[in-house]
Amino acid sequence: MEIIKNFGIQPILLLAQLVNFTILLIILQKFLYKPMLKVLNERKNKIADSLKNADEIEKRLKSMDAERDKRLNDAIHEAKEIVEEAAQNASDIIRQSQQKAAADVQIMTDRAEKLLELEREKLHKEIREEIGNMVILGIEKVINKTLSTEDRKKLADEAVTGLK
Amino acid sequence: MQNTIVLAPEIIFHIGPLPITNTLFTSWIVMIVLIILSKLSTKNMSLIPNGLLRNIFELTIEGFYDLTESLAHSRAAMFFPFLMTFFLYIVIGNWLGLFPGFSTIGFFNDVGGHMDFIPLLRSMNTDLNMTLALALISAFLTHFFSIRYLGIKGYLAHWFNLNPLFMFVGILEIISEVTKVISLSFRLFGNIFAGEVVMSTISTLAAFFVPLPFYFLEILAGVIQAAVFMILTMVFMVLLTEKHIGEEESR
Repeated sequence: MEIIKNFGIQPILLLAQLVNFTILLIILQKFLYKPMLKVLNERKNKIADSLKNADEIEKRLKSMDAERDKRLNDAIHEAKEIVEEAAQNASDIIRQSQQKAAADVQIMTDRAEKLLELEREKLHKEIREEIGNMVILGIEKVINKTLSTEDRKKLADEAVTGLK
Repeated sequence: MQNTIVLAPEIIFHIGPLPITNTLFTSWIVMIVLIILSKLSTKNMSLIPNGLLRNIFELTIEGFYDLTESLAHSRAAMFFPFLMTFFLYIVIGNWLGLFPGFSTIGFFNDVGGHMDFIPLLRSMNTDLNMTLALALISAFLTHFFSIRYLGIKGYLAHWFNLNPLFMFVGILEIISEVTKVISLSFRLFGNIFAGEVVMSTISTLAAFFVPLPFYFLEILAGVIQAAVFMILTMVFMVLLTEKHIGEEESR
């Protein structure tokens, strides 16, 4: 076989190469492929997990946002209601107190008027008596004699009724 | 310096019965380089990528693993170490052959009156011994996996069939198995050897700048040939370990 001789093919060299390849295979498998594929796989899993987690977090965030908005709206609504109620209450109280004050004033004026009326009547009575007395005294001066108590009374009454 | 085209590798010395050729010597250097690189790249493994060397290896390994998985599916984990070792061994061998010193550093041997130049280092795949051995390993592994996954009966059924038509196909298949080995080994050998010859020829014509484009070409050819060898082996493995449709029907 000329060709084998030309190319320098020797079985022992083939065998040497086989040994080389086997050694290389074992060493690379141990030091390169195994650790590297392991890490690549781990990283792939981790990335997949992270992406899944990120999705979940985003979803949760969104729901949290919605919840917050809802609560905020509720709170605003409630606050508005409270303010409205308070305003209502305040105006009620003001109106009530105004009414009460008005009633009080009325009562007080009524009482004052009544008092004044009584006072005036008392005054009238006193004045009438005074006037009766003065009339009697005048008459006594005019007729120059003292009147009996009966006459006096009669005259005073007449004068008073006349005054009335 | 004269450039003679020598197909056979030069023997630099003997260890017992084993002739140490310059290509075998180079292949040891390639192994050492690969082992050092693999140790360096996996020195501190962590989930976070760190280091250029590690990234290069990760990129290569992940890319080829995905390729293997897309073709071989569940058998990928079994095939991958062999395929990847073919690739790395061949590509580093090819690239190392481009370094200065290869085919140029050597000694003269007195053979019957005239001096023969014997380079100490010679690109690994410019020796048919190396590529033929790799092709034989590839073929052996392919058949080994075939028996493993199909069983001895399924394996034999692939080649021998009582149906005359399939019997003829079987014979063709056996011939093609032989040609596979020849084509794998000679493709790799031919490409790298031719590249080497082209570069040495160009270098003698013009030593400065002119060989540069050829160096780039050889860098490319080196990785392409390694990838071709690996992918062809992968395809052969996948084809021979696949269950045949006719076979499944007959069961």
